[in-house]
Amino acid sequence: MTDHTISAYDDELNELRSIVSRMGGLAGDQLIGSMQALKERDSVEAQRVREADKELDRLEALAEQTAIGVFARRAPVADDLREVVSALKMTTLIERMGDYAKNIAKRTLAISESHPVVLPQTLETMAETAHRMIQDVMDAYAHRSAEAAIDVWESDEILDNMHNAAYRQILARMMETPDYISVYTHYLMIAKNLERIGDQATNVAEQIYYTITGSVLEDSRPKGDTTSTEAAGE
Amino acid sequence: MVEPMLKLAPEYEKVTDNQNPKMTAKNVSVYYGDNHAVKNISLNLNRDEVTSLIGPSGCGKSTFLRCLNRMNDTIAGCRIEGNITLDGEDIYDPKIDVVQLRARVGMVFQKPNPFPKSIYDNIAYGPRIHGLATARADLDEIVTRSLEKAGLWQEVKDRLEAPGTALSGGQQQRLCIARAIAVNPEVILMDEPCSALDPIATAKVENLIDELKGRYAIAIVTHSMQQAARISQKTAFFHMGDLIEHGDTTQIFTAPKEERTRDYITGRFG
Repeated sequence: MTDHTISAYDDELNELRSIVSRMGGLAGDQLIGSMQALKERDSVEAQRVREADKELDRLEALAEQTAIGVFARRAPVADDLREVVSALKMTTLIERMGDYAKNIAKRTLAISESHPVVLPQTLETMAETAHRMIQDVMDAYAHRSAEAAIDVWESDEILDNMHNAAYRQILARMMETPDYISVYTHYLMIAKNLERIGDQATNVAEQIYYTITGSVLEDSRPKGDTTSTEAAGE
Repeated sequence: MVEPMLKLAPEYEKVTDNQNPKMTAKNVSVYYGDNHAVKNISLNLNRDEVTSLIGPSGCGKSTFLRCLNRMNDTIAGCRIEGNITLDGEDIYDPKIDVVQLRARVGMVFQKPNPFPKSIYDNIAYGPRIHGLATARADLDEIVTRSLEKAGLWQEVKDRLEAPGTALSGGQQQRLCIARAIAVNPEVILMDEPCSALDPIATAKVENLIDELKGRYAIAIVTHSMQQAARISQKTAFFHMGDLIEHGDTTQIFTAPKEERTRDYITGRFG
């Protein structure tokens, strides 16, 4: 896309884009950090992740300030309007991803104080998939690729299916070893957090698609998460 | 840009033109000597709607606007091709009375141009020459009603005999709109009506345009993107004599279909 006649306008939009990208990168790092802490039962790392979440909050506030400035000074229209509105929404979604990672870190602190219980493998696989979705969606953003955004949008079903598997696996372990039910409950919630991170990445993909094409993706995405409707023992 | 693989949201699927336009321009071309200023443009003006014509200087938007009430007739060397109808009637038909046409299709210009007469006579002049009223009481009523419709009555009712030129710029422009309204037009054309006005006077004229749109088909040429976005229901983007895109204003300003429209309204034109 060609530059604006007023170059300061481009500078402001680039600043906003850069904040969104930084937030995406940071959210990915937070997820990795929280899972590392969980695997290693590392409460120091978990604490660091919790603290680092403040940077995401700060960047979200900065994005909001920057976007309001663009609205006030430039009265953006067309692609620029979509860009700024989507950036506002995306930073909220990414900040939420950070909250889920922070929650994993918080649960890690509790888990690391209890009796060691083997971490279900499916959680690690889920975290890898969720992390890849964050990376892919931020790549789609950086390269302004609607096709790549759709790929992420569609890939959420994989994470949903993993979540179903993790849910059943953890439930089975709970029944096998009821003594560790409190740790497994944390694992169950962590699985849900990972699944929600995927949902946020999917919503970010929708925003990217709208920014690029001006069209809204219809909410007909295949959804695989069945854990909310299943009864125990099914 | 990728093809939208899924359905567009409903707001983007609206039909652009209604089935019963007030004015229809079909394949209109305008030449000034060898200069092809307006190229084969087809565009409708709908009833009860404001249509904004936007585009860079020299794109043909004012020239096109002036075709709609034959203001270009007076320009030497100007030639018009194509067909323009008002309620289905060809306005370039030799049988058409141009003076009558210009009463039905009124015009407001960039610079307020009140006659060097009283406020009262500025309004009464048109109805008098068109024979709409001769009795003083009838003229009084037209003057009052027109000034009321133009939102100017409260400001000038006690000084109707003062010269129109003594009013502020914004008031003069509303006086010109009142003057156009006085002869019962069906269409009002406005050529950058706010470009000489301050923001408050502009807001008053825009508010007036908004109120008038229920009674008249309105076309407005403007250089202000924000003004087009604020007051019109349809927007037409002209560039180098071509009509590049015409659609619902919301669609044009959120998701224009043409790259040139996008570049122009977002300030990317080189």
